[in-house]
Amino acid sequence: MFISKLKQALICLKAGRVTLPYPYKPSPTPEGFRGKLKVDINKCIGCAGCANVCPPGAIEVIDFDKGWRRIQFHLTRCIYCGRCEEVCPEKAVKLTDEFELSTNTKEDLDLTIEIYMDTCQRCTRCFKPEHPLDKMMVTGFRE
Amino acid sequence: MLTAKEIIETLRTKFNNHIIKADEKVSNQVFVRVVPDTLVPLIRFLSKTLSPRFLINAGTDLVRQDGKYLVSYIFSFDSDKIFLCIEVAVDAAAPDIDSITPIIAGANWSERETRDLLGINLRNHPDPRRLVLADDWPQGLYPLRRDFPYDYKPPSEPQNKVHLKKPPEGTKVIPIGPFYPVLEEPAYFKLFVDGETVVDCDYRGFYNHRGIEKIGDTKLTYNQICFMAERICGICGFIHSTCYCEAVEQAAGIEVPLRAHYIRTIMLELERIHSHLLWLGIATHIIGFDTLLMQAWRIREPVMWLCEKISGNRKTYGMNLIGGVRRDIPHQMHDKIITVIEKIERETLEVIDAVMGDTSLHVRLKDVGILTEEVGRSICTVGPTARGSGIPIDSRVDHPYAAYDRINFEVAVESGCDIWARTLVRLKETMESIKIVKQCLLEMPDGPIMGEVMEEIPSGREAICCVEAPRGEAVHYVQTGQDNRPYRWRVRAPTYPNLQCIPNIIKGERIADVPIIIGSLDPCYSCTERMAVVDVKTGVEKLYTKEEIIKR
Repeated sequence: MFISKLKQALICLKAGRVTLPYPYKPSPTPEGFRGKLKVDINKCIGCAGCANVCPPGAIEVIDFDKGWRRIQFHLTRCIYCGRCEEVCPEKAVKLTDEFELSTNTKEDLDLTIEIYMDTCQRCTRCFKPEHPLDKMMVTGFRE
Repeated sequence: MLTAKEIIETLRTKFNNHIIKADEKVSNQVFVRVVPDTLVPLIRFLSKTLSPRFLINAGTDLVRQDGKYLVSYIFSFDSDKIFLCIEVAVDAAAPDIDSITPIIAGANWSERETRDLLGINLRNHPDPRRLVLADDWPQGLYPLRRDFPYDYKPPSEPQNKVHLKKPPEGTKVIPIGPFYPVLEEPAYFKLFVDGETVVDCDYRGFYNHRGIEKIGDTKLTYNQICFMAERICGICGFIHSTCYCEAVEQAAGIEVPLRAHYIRTIMLELERIHSHLLWLGIATHIIGFDTLLMQAWRIREPVMWLCEKISGNRKTYGMNLIGGVRRDIPHQMHDKIITVIEKIERETLEVIDAVMGDTSLHVRLKDVGILTEEVGRSICTVGPTARGSGIPIDSRVDHPYAAYDRINFEVAVESGCDIWARTLVRLKETMESIKIVKQCLLEMPDGPIMGEVMEEIPSGREAICCVEAPRGEAVHYVQTGQDNRPYRWRVRAPTYPNLQCIPNIIKGERIADVPIIIGSLDPCYSCTERMAVVDVKTGVEKLYTKEEIIKR
């Protein structure tokens, strides 16, 4: 009993203090950490592949006006699995190492992008024009 | 050793006229469809002769196909590595079925769950009270039927409340839970005590039944479910996602690359290491030995950091997809893993050395919470709870998945039947896990980590998979369906059978020992909606409803 307690005391003494000084000192994340996602609007082609695979349904696609598509990323629902990053054909979605996301306003955790999409003459569904100049040629373009 | 063919033959010789069909759909998984009247005689015959272990039953709504409900009783022949699934199709017009609980006590909860969720009435069930559904869920509304929309919110009917047992003559009631300081998760145990001794107890749980099976077969797709399966449990999430993926892969016949199997094995074992260390901390915290809580969790923390490095997150790894894993473990990571787990091995050995001779631990843990082998077998307990009672079952050996068929390790079995035995089993397993991780890193072949997955997984197939979680075995049963999602996905977490033995193992114990007895099962359950308050002076018990609590 006594020896056993002595051994336990030794373990504690040997370990010493292990508490990290976070948040007074930053705690870096390892490479490949899955944190808050970032979208590059210039790369996004509005294919909505990310919305299709998103397990919690955190990505919403709304075609709110003729030729305009709004993609909303609700980070309050996000589970940080990184499936959107994996399936994005243009590598527009990236998970960053940002993890300090607590906020008083819920809107801080909503990412919204709006893309002007062309309308296919056949199926009337949207697609993004190949070249930025092509956008200007389309009637109704107002960016 | 039995083979699948022999099992079918044995059943055919005895019940040939009553067997509609019997085949081995997936290798070592036998599916036998029988007529409803034969169910009880057949299961009685089975449990007397071949004595398989009951795992779970699952109800499926096939009304649209042939106007029937299908109830599948899944058994395991542990030493023969075979699953047996006895299926009964019940007419939807009169969904009545004979209960098998009088023969197999461990079927109690799962039969009641099928009744609650699918509306299959049970004849001769010893305890037909409501189990899973909320207290105010309307009568006659069954959420797992296909015509029930997944997002429907039914009106509240508080009169359907479940009435817990009345205390026996001469006993008092002590409520443990729904929120109890030392059991981190809520469940309600109503203890009947005579002085200091517990005479009996009643249990009400499932307060936060989340309906994931429903959302899995109506809303999500095959690959989305992997991530939800991971969130079934906060500690053994990867086990559930592996179990689900393996079940789908077996059903669809998807070939998974060997490297992916090894990566799964490594992650599963890392999870076991940190879960057992976490349990050691919590268990000693329950008995007031907080020094070990601090040290066990300190030792555990590097595993979490290691998992964060490998997968990108410390707990929900998100690594599994149907067909393989998403992230590789590169060669330069191997040394890091070895360094971390060797440090853990060293420190865990130090801790084991220090606590083995601690007599105050012996006093609290030895000969407390006795679960005899007989009771353990009848209630079909699993994992360290069973192995601490001398029942040598471990699905890593019995039903090898991932890369376990290529790995040598010992199954820790103790015959003490008490909490100390369960502790020893867990400590030994931690050391074994460290060995397994090392072996995997040595033997892991190069190659792809994601297999070829067909465009569409064929519908109408079924498969069962067992994965050994730290607390026992998780069972997933999948029937593939159309629209890129399973038709039925049944999950059984390891605490489900283990928790059913609580009334047996706390009988005759002292009140002060009840928390550690419950804690020794490493239970894992969810949230609450009402509480019991006992007036100390008058002994009158008053139950506060949800509405009353909100009003206060």
